[in-house]
Amino acid sequence: MLPNRSRTSVLVFLLPPLLLYCAAVLFPILQSLFLSFFSWNGISDMEFVGLANYVRMLTADDIFWRAFFNALIYLAICLVLQLGGALVVASLLTSLRRGRELIKTLYLLPAVISTVAIAFLFVRIYSIDPVGLLNQLLHWVGLGSFERAWLSDVNTVLAAVSAPEGWRFTGLYMLIIYAALIAVPKELEEAAVLDGASKWTLFTKIRFPYIRPVWITTTIMATTYGLRGFDIPYLMTNGGPGQSSELLTTYMYKTAFTSTDFGYASTIAVFIVIECLVAVGLILFMLKRKADS
Amino acid sequence: MKKLFRAAAVAAVTALALTACGGGGAATNPANVSPTGEIKPREISWLLSRPADGAVINIMKKLADDYAKDHPGFALNLITTPDRPSYIQKLETLAAANKLPELFDTDATPFAQQLAKQGKMVDADKLLKSLEIYDDYRPGALDYQRFDDGSLYMIPFQFELEFIWYNKALLEKAGVAVPKSLDDIPAMCTALRNAGITPIAIDGQDQWPLERYVAYQPFRAAGPDFVQKLKKGEASFTDAAGQKTVTWMAELGKAKCFQDGFSAQGYSDAQNQFTSGQAAMYNIGTWELPSLATDKLNPEVRDDIDFFTLPTTEGSVTSANEFVSPSGIGMAVNSKTYDPLVSDFLKFALDKYPAEYAATGALSPTTNVQTAIPANATPLYKKALETANTLGDKQAMPWDTQLDPTTNGRLQQELVLLVQGNITPEQFTKTMDDAIKQNAPKFFK
Repeated sequence: MLPNRSRTSVLVFLLPPLLLYCAAVLFPILQSLFLSFFSWNGISDMEFVGLANYVRMLTADDIFWRAFFNALIYLAICLVLQLGGALVVASLLTSLRRGRELIKTLYLLPAVISTVAIAFLFVRIYSIDPVGLLNQLLHWVGLGSFERAWLSDVNTVLAAVSAPEGWRFTGLYMLIIYAALIAVPKELEEAAVLDGASKWTLFTKIRFPYIRPVWITTTIMATTYGLRGFDIPYLMTNGGPGQSSELLTTYMYKTAFTSTDFGYASTIAVFIVIECLVAVGLILFMLKRKADS
Repeated sequence: MKKLFRAAAVAAVTALALTACGGGGAATNPANVSPTGEIKPREISWLLSRPADGAVINIMKKLADDYAKDHPGFALNLITTPDRPSYIQKLETLAAANKLPELFDTDATPFAQQLAKQGKMVDADKLLKSLEIYDDYRPGALDYQRFDDGSLYMIPFQFELEFIWYNKALLEKAGVAVPKSLDDIPAMCTALRNAGITPIAIDGQDQWPLERYVAYQPFRAAGPDFVQKLKKGEASFTDAAGQKTVTWMAELGKAKCFQDGFSAQGYSDAQNQFTSGQAAMYNIGTWELPSLATDKLNPEVRDDIDFFTLPTTEGSVTSANEFVSPSGIGMAVNSKTYDPLVSDFLKFALDKYPAEYAATGALSPTTNVQTAIPANATPLYKKALETANTLGDKQAMPWDTQLDPTTNGRLQQELVLLVQGNITPEQFTKTMDDAIKQNAPKFFK
């Protein structure tokens, strides 16, 4: 404890983390911005190309747009599974009397398993030859006609690589939302019940408004994580077949490290940064407007 | 805040300028293969992409230890990344930072050729000649490492032959014979499928195995030059040889030649399908002899396994004894750190390496040693090794080492779609020709 907490001493202590933040976050972003105006393969001389990379990205690159829309679908699936799933499970959990801890732990378990293990696990689950868990289940319940190679079918692969990412963090968000839900004052709920409020009214009028701040935070977290999603699709399908499960992140990574087109990859990276900022801005805007109305 | 931002921007620009300056310089003359001066032992590093417990690494470790006995202070630090895509990323990043170690692995890719052009690699042709071991090497093993202009900058440590392994019992069950021509394979697949057998097991996840197939028809129809022209945009997929391979790949897909869902299956999945007797054919090289031609192979299929080499076609310009015979990823010598010590160690190690390597049962890239057949080998082992003695002069180059990396990535993706029937041969042809047109000029100017 400092004897006299002066302004200077606070600044002195704040400076190292600030510098670290600048070095680790701001500097790479600025560097990407700088690189995005160049054509550079790592060993050649850097050639200034102005906005050519941006023009190519926005007008002439079919894979970029495919990857962008894939990333949006990926995000939507992740959000539904993570936030929707988390809210449902957390609400059910509050009405449970026994075994809460056990269920919480079970749901949280996937969040602590390594990504590589999850990717391999799901490759097995989706497999058709040898028959994996999912196809086996479909067969048992009589839906044999739905059996397919989920990761090789261009129509199912995107959903198939999104689901593990969604499934993985449902437990984590469930825990956060659950903590917010049990903090809702019991008096409020009891008063509402006495006034004849139904379960649904109770949820929409009392509980949800009460957890809104937490909900905003989790939505922002889940969205930014979703937009940056990379590892599971990359490990499971490497963006394939074709570009069916290519996300902006995997495409950027390949452009940088397989095609060694660091300038163009930086352009995509800048786009991802802007996309994340826009997404967060939109969420804040929408939720604020809702709260105001 | 404004100030801070400005400072950061300046820092970013300065750092970039510094790396850009660093990228240009190559200290020594790549043609000077016999540096003079005193040998000062130190630790040197080899960045490589080979199995961690494989023969190459074990032997080089042992040779380095032997060398260190006479040269106290010497050590060889082996940094291996067996997963090839990860390795290539590591190599390219280090090359961009101008931080390549004394020795590093690379294929004869367009990227490596740029490094060579910048004088960053020692001329291996001159190096091997100055060590008086050039003539010991199999010409094919050296050719595999050469760039298109015939220059040689990588030293091979292996020599492999790629065969199509097959299960005699399964072929018999389906009533089909070993294909005489590449064009027989689609019909053969249909017959095998009708008998409930998976025709070909393939590792789709790693993508290079499927890319091998696209190289076969053009190699037969137009010889090894086709891909060299194709990658520069001087030939195209609309040419006769190009169209032949595109339609053939589509036919393979239509005949369901590869196992269902192959694109998500890995190396060991494919091998297991073949060795467990579920798949009839499997295209792989002699590096798998220890698992396919010894008593490690599943006894149930052991007597049924055989192999054939790449079939020819009608009007083929290459002969039956010419197919894919790679000498593996090669080792390049960094010209910047090349000094009397590196030179002396290479002389010591390259001289002793072939005998040690042949003793492990593998094919040496040189012809001055006899490969020892392991005690647990099946007769196929000997047959496979003997095939190396009757090789022709031409060899089919894997396309992934030839095309520029962006076109290569696109080809790997589009091939899966073509074989799965998601795109038509026309769409494939157009996409790939456009990709080459767009990307090749940057790499082959």
